[in-house]
Amino acid sequence: MPTSAREPLLEVRDLAAGYGKIGVLHGVQLTVGAGEAVALLGPNGAGKTTLLRAISGLLPRTGQIRFAGKDMSSAGPRDAVSAGLVHVVEGHRVFTQLTVFDNLLLAGYGMPRAARARQVEEALAFFPEIAEKRRNLAATLSGGQQQMLAVAQGLVRRPRLLMLDEPSAGLSPVLVDRVLLAAAKLREAGTAILLVEQLIEKALATADRVYALARGTIVLEARTDEADLPNRLEQAYFGQGAHAPLQS
Amino acid sequence: MEVTQTTIPRTSARSGWLASLEKAAPFLALGLAALAFPLLGDSYWGVIVTRACVYWVLVAGLNMVVGFAGQIAIGWVGLLTLGAYTTSAMTAGTAMPEVSPYLALVAAAAIGALFGLIVGLPALRLRTFYFAMATLGFSTIVTQVALAWKSVTGGGIGVAGPVFGWPFTGNWGFYYFCLLIAALCTWMTINIAGSRFGRALVAIRDAEVAAEASGIAKSQLLMTVFLFSGALAGVAGGLFSSLQSYITPDAFTFDLSVLFFIAILIGGRGSVLGPLLGALLLTALPEVAAPLVAWSTFLYAALLLAIVLAVPGGIADLLDFKNRRPLERHREVVPRPEMLTRLLGGEGSVLSLANVVLSFGGVRAIDGLDLDVRPGEVHGLIGPNGSGKTTTLNVISGYYAPQSGSVRLGDAVLPPGAARVRASHRIARTFQTPRVIGGASVLDNVKIGGTIDGHGSFVEAMLTLPRHRRDEAVLRERALLALSAVGLESLADVRADRLQHSELRFVEIARALMLAPSILLLDEPAAGLSAEEIRRLGALIKSISRAGTSVLLVEHHADLIFDICDRVTVLNLGKVLAAGTPDEIRSHREVVSAYLGA
Amino acid sequence: MIESIVSYGLAVGAVYALIGITYNVMFSASRVFSFTAGMLGMLGGVLGALFIGKLGLPTIVGFVLVLACGAVLGVITEIVAVRPVLKSIEQHLYVLSTLAFALLIQQFTAIEWGTEAQPFPRLIPISSGWFDQQFWLPLLACAATIVGLELLYRRTLVGRAFLAIAEDSYAARALGLPEQRLRLASFALAGIIGALAGFTGGEMLLAFFGNQAILSFYGFVPVALGGMGSNRGAVIGGLALGLFQQAANFLVGGIFAAVAVFVVFIAVLLLRPEGLAGAAASRRV
Repeated sequence: MPTSAREPLLEVRDLAAGYGKIGVLHGVQLTVGAGEAVALLGPNGAGKTTLLRAISGLLPRTGQIRFAGKDMSSAGPRDAVSAGLVHVVEGHRVFTQLTVFDNLLLAGYGMPRAARARQVEEALAFFPEIAEKRRNLAATLSGGQQQMLAVAQGLVRRPRLLMLDEPSAGLSPVLVDRVLLAAAKLREAGTAILLVEQLIEKALATADRVYALARGTIVLEARTDEADLPNRLEQAYFGQGAHAPLQS
Repeated sequence: MEVTQTTIPRTSARSGWLASLEKAAPFLALGLAALAFPLLGDSYWGVIVTRACVYWVLVAGLNMVVGFAGQIAIGWVGLLTLGAYTTSAMTAGTAMPEVSPYLALVAAAAIGALFGLIVGLPALRLRTFYFAMATLGFSTIVTQVALAWKSVTGGGIGVAGPVFGWPFTGNWGFYYFCLLIAALCTWMTINIAGSRFGRALVAIRDAEVAAEASGIAKSQLLMTVFLFSGALAGVAGGLFSSLQSYITPDAFTFDLSVLFFIAILIGGRGSVLGPLLGALLLTALPEVAAPLVAWSTFLYAALLLAIVLAVPGGIADLLDFKNRRPLERHREVVPRPEMLTRLLGGEGSVLSLANVVLSFGGVRAIDGLDLDVRPGEVHGLIGPNGSGKTTTLNVISGYYAPQSGSVRLGDAVLPPGAARVRASHRIARTFQTPRVIGGASVLDNVKIGGTIDGHGSFVEAMLTLPRHRRDEAVLRERALLALSAVGLESLADVRADRLQHSELRFVEIARALMLAPSILLLDEPAAGLSAEEIRRLGALIKSISRAGTSVLLVEHHADLIFDICDRVTVLNLGKVLAAGTPDEIRSHREVVSAYLGA
Repeated sequence: MIESIVSYGLAVGAVYALIGITYNVMFSASRVFSFTAGMLGMLGGVLGALFIGKLGLPTIVGFVLVLACGAVLGVITEIVAVRPVLKSIEQHLYVLSTLAFALLIQQFTAIEWGTEAQPFPRLIPISSGWFDQQFWLPLLACAATIVGLELLYRRTLVGRAFLAIAEDSYAARALGLPEQRLRLASFALAGIIGALAGFTGGEMLLAFFGNQAILSFYGFVPVALGGMGSNRGAVIGGLALGLFQQAANFLVGGIFAAVAVFVVFIAVLLLRPEGLAGAAASRRV
C-alpha cells in the first residue's frame, strides 16, 4: 500500500460477509493507519454498512482482520470494543428509555467505576449541548442530539479507531457540520476514524484517504488531495461500462 | 447444460400414473395391512389399532393447521373433548331426547367445526404464541366446564359413550367404521395437500408476504381449515367416546394434546404420510414397551425437543431420498425468452401514480410523487438510499397506504393498502430478499403465483372433482412454461432451499410470471448476482417487457439500469429528481450530484 | 363472602401477576415468550413442599433453595430451549422448544412427585384469620418483586443494561454489552420470580403438577391484556383477573367464570392485539 506508509492500525484482508445465502462482500482489502481519517464511499447497496458490521464482529464473516497488532478475525463486538475498535451504528440508535447519562454509562459497561465516570465526562465535554441534558431521557433529544449522543457513546472507551456509519443521515446541514466537526476534533486528539458517508464532499473534507466500495469490493483507493477524484469516483460507482460525461 | 430443445422437458417433472402410484404406494400398503388386521384375531391389539385410527382422524385435520398452515395449536384435545361429550350427551339423552349415534356424530362434527373456528380466530391476526396460548386456554376451560356442568356431562362421574349400531356392530365392526373414516380423512387431506389450497397454506406458513402478493386470502383460507380441522376433531371425539365406552374429564388429559401435536412434528411439516406414521408410532409405542407407559409423555416431550433442535424436518425429511441426490455443481441459469409469448400477452395498461404522499412519523418518505409506467416498457427507478424507491414499490403493491394521491392501473383506481387484491389487478412483484418456500419444490413455489386463477372450491379440491383437476393441469403446464422461460426447468422437482441465491431470484420471477402480469415490479433483482447472471437477467427482463408486460425496476446496478431501461426515473428525498431516457439521465448534472452526494 | 372473594381473589391475582412478570422478564431479554413461566410457578409449590414438608428443612433454607432451583432452571431453559433457536426467531421454533422443555419438567414432576395435589406446609407458625398468610404472602411477594425490579432497573448499571437490551439488542451488542450473559441473567431472574410466585402461593394452590397448565394460561392473560413487556400492566391485569374469577365463582359459578375469562381473552386479542395499554406494532416488508 503506497498510500499508507504508517504502520496500519486496522488491516482487513480478503474479507467476505453477507446475510444468509446472499453474499454482500467479496475479498475486501482495507487498511487504516493510527490516527488516520479514512472515508468509505460507495453507491447504496454496495455493502458499506455490511463492511463495518463485519469488521466490528456484529456479522459473521471470513477473512483476516488485524487490529493494533492482534488477530481479530473471529472476535465478537465485545472483544472489538475492549480492544479499542468502536462502531457507532447507523441511525442514531440510542436507548430512548434511559437518560443521556445512563446511555453513556452503558457505553462503559464493565470498566472500573472511577475510570468510567471520568471518561463519560470527557465524552460529554465534546458535546456541551447534550451535556446540559444529561438527566433527560434520550427520547427527548432531537435527531441531531441523538446522533451526538451516539458518537459520545463511542468515545467513552477512548477508542483507537472509531467507525462512524452515516452520522449525517437524517440531519440538517448545520447539524451534519457539527457532527463532522466533532469527528475532526477527535482526529486531532489522535483517534483514527473510519467514516461511512453519503455526502461525498463533506466526507472528502474530513478524511485523509478514501476507499470506494461498489458491488461488494473495493474499487478505488486514493488520497483525498489527489486530482480528478470526483471523476474517478464516478467511474468507480457506475462501473466500467459507463462513461458518464460529467460536463458542467 | 444439456437442455437445448425448445419443448418443455418431461423428464424433470414427472407426471402420469406411474408417479401417482409411487406416491400412493405407502398409503395403499398401510390400508391393505389395516384391512387384513382382524385376521390376526388379537382383540387387545384391535383396540389399540382402533385407537390409532381415531387419533389419526383428529391428527389428519390438525395436520392441516399445524403441519401445513404452521399454526401452533397445542390444545386440540379441547375439541376432542367437545366432540366426545356432544356425542355422548346426545345418545345418552342427558341434554335432549336421545338420537342415533350416527346423527350425534354429525352433530359433533358441526360443533367441532364451530369451536375450531372460534379457537382459530386469534391466529388470523396474531403471532404464533398467542394462538398457542388460546388453544391451551381453551382445552383447560373445556375440561373445567365438563367437570362443572354435571347435569349434562355427569361431572367427575362421567357419562356413557355411544354404541354404534348396524352395520358397524361389535368390536371389529367398530374397527372397520373407524378405519373407513380414517381412510376417508387420509384421502381428503392428501387431496388438499396437493391442491392450490394446500400449497397456499404452506405459503402462508413460510412466505407470508409473498402469499399476500400472490393474492392468497389468508383469513378466508385459515378459517376454512379451522372448520375442517374442528369437524374432524369432533368426529374423532365421538369415536373416542364410543371406544372408551365411558368418559370422564380425566380421559382428556393434556398428554393427548401433546401426542397429537408431536405426531405431526415427528412426521414432518407439510407431509401427510409423515404425521400418519407419527400417529401410529406414538399410539403403539407405549404398548410395545410396557415399562415406559408412565414415561410416555416425558419421552414425547424429549422427542419434541430433540426434533425441534436437531431435525426440524421430521420423518418426512428422513424419507425424502429424492432430495438427497447431489445436484449438478456448476449450474447455469439460461433463460429461454421465446417461451414468454406462450405465457404472457394481452394488452397492457398504464400504471400511473399521481401526487402520492406517504410519511412515517413526520418524515416524508414519498413527497408528491408522479410516475407513469407505459405498457411494454422497462422503467428504471433509481436514487440514493432513503430516496423512496422500495417505498414506492410498496405503495404500488399495497403494503403501504399513502396519505394522499392515487395509484391507477389503466382506468382502475387501486385501493390504498390492500396488498392482497393487487394480484387480481395483474400486478406481480419480487422481493429484495427472495421469499420462497424452502421446503417445497421449485415447481410448487412457482405454482403459488397462479393461485388466484383456480376455479375449483376447497371442497372440490378435497374431493378431487373435475373442475379442480382441470385447475391443476393448467397450473402445472403454466408453471413448467414459466420455469423454462427463466431457465430453471431442470430444477423443477428440487426443494427450493437447495438452490443458490441467484437461482432463487429467477424462481421469484417465474412465480410472478404465473399471473401473466400486466405490470411486474422487480425489487433489486440483480443483488448478489454475478456479472454474467446480470447480463442474462437483463435480457430476460427486456423480453418480458416486449411480450406485453411492463416492468418497473428498482436497482442499484447502474450499468443494468442504463442497459435495458426504456425510461428512467430518479428519486431523491421522495421526489422525482429527473426522468427521461437513460442517455438523458446519464448526462444530467443533478443526478450525478445526487449520486455523488455533492 | 366479600372478604373471601377479596382475599382469595387478590392472592390468586398476585400469583398470576408474578407469572406474568416472569413472562415479561424473559421476553424483554430475548423477544421470546417461554412456556416455562407456568412450570416455574408449579415447581415453586412442589419444591417448597418437598424441601420443607417432606425433607423437613427449616423454612428459610427451603425458601432459598426453591429460589435457587428456579434460577438454575431459568438458566437451563435459556441454554437448552432458547439460545439454539434464537437465530431463526421468525420461525417461532421457541414456542415448541420451550413447550417441550416445560413438558419434560412437568412429566418428571408428575412421575417423581405424583399426580395428586399435596398439601403445602404453613410457612409462618401463627394462627390464621380471615386475612391469612396464604393470602398476604403472594401479595407481599408481588410488591417486593415490583419494588426490587424497579430498584434494579433504575439504580444499577446491570438493570439499565437489561433495559437497553430490551429496547435495542443490536445497538446494545454494538456498544459491547455482554448480551448473552445478560440474557442468561434475566432468565435466572425470571426463574427466581416464577418460583417465588409458586412458593408464596403454595398453601393456596397446593403442590400439584397440574398447576403448570393453569398458571401458564392465567399468568399469560394479564400479559396479553396489559401489553407484553409491561410489568405494571401485568400486575393490574393479574389482580383484576384474580378478583373477577373469584367473584364470578361465588356469584354465578365456575363454568361462567372460566368461559368469561376465555371470551375476554379472545376478544382483547382480536380487538386490541397490542394489549389494552400497548402501542401498535409496525409492518414487516
